[in-house]
Amino acid sequence: MTADLAAAVRAAQAGDTMAMHDLLDALSPYVGRICGPIAYEAAPDAAQEALIAIFRGLRSLRDPAALWGWARAIAVREAVRAARRAHRGVPMDMAALPARDDPELATDVLDVLARLSPEHRAILVLRDVEGLSEQEAAEILNVAEGTVKSRLHRARQSFRKAWSP
Amino acid sequence: MTDTWPRADLNPVHRLRALAAGIPGAHVTERLIDAPFDEVWPVAGDLEGEFGNYQPDMRHVRITRTNGDRLEAVARSRFGLRARFDVVSRPGWCWMQSRLLLIGVAAAPADGGTLIAMTGGVRVPGRAAILPWGVRRESAKALHRLTIRVRARAE
Repeated sequence: MTADLAAAVRAAQAGDTMAMHDLLDALSPYVGRICGPIAYEAAPDAAQEALIAIFRGLRSLRDPAALWGWARAIAVREAVRAARRAHRGVPMDMAALPARDDPELATDVLDVLARLSPEHRAILVLRDVEGLSEQEAAEILNVAEGTVKSRLHRARQSFRKAWSP
Repeated sequence: MTDTWPRADLNPVHRLRALAAGIPGAHVTERLIDAPFDEVWPVAGDLEGEFGNYQPDMRHVRITRTNGDRLEAVARSRFGLRARFDVVSRPGWCWMQSRLLLIGVAAAPADGGTLIAMTGGVRVPGRAAILPWGVRRESAKALHRLTIRVRARAE
């Protein structure tokens, strides 16, 4: 974390809304990058809810250096929640994946992502976008490390299937 | 691979709701104006021209320094009080802070016109908090006046 951003966190916590504005500028693209692939069509709502939770809870953040990890955990939680809400009653699991010879989906990452459950998408984002370990991803998602391993395996398998000739 | 993954883009109204959530006492008032963004924002974001026409407590704003989208401005209230503001001004976005006042205005294209959102009020001095009395009424009044000004400019 840069010294500027740490200073912005402290100033925002002390009541400077211009510093809060700086944090909003810094966090919005990051939160959007996490919420996009997980919440998918509900992503703008998820990103907004995540930022609302971040700004409501900002005073409780003790260590400014923890900003990104703290914001990431909130964004993942809100993205999974928004995606579940958007698809309540619609089962989304690996069985819904298209056949490997489906020509329309063979090269389209967005379509493959859309057919994964929010939990599988969250695993992919935490491991492949954020570069977290399986243990770290498990802590954020509040699941066992073994669950992360199996979900990740299945999610990656779906991509391999989609791109296989 | 992840370069092609979708990203969530937040519009200025989303951003204003988020920022206001961190300010106890703040309320975001929203209104759909049946005019395109290109007609609404030149009025809503016109600090030195229109701001004093639609903000109930504001008579005149003068920009004293510009550095990209960061401005400094001096505003005079209807009661003659003078305040120095730090301002961020962008298309669809205006955030203003003085020692005693906060004002936020955001706009985004929407079905049927432009969604405009406003927050602000009297600040608890030096803090990210707004005295909660009358904030909804003042914002609703401002948005009503803004709608009239947009229609007047379009005629």
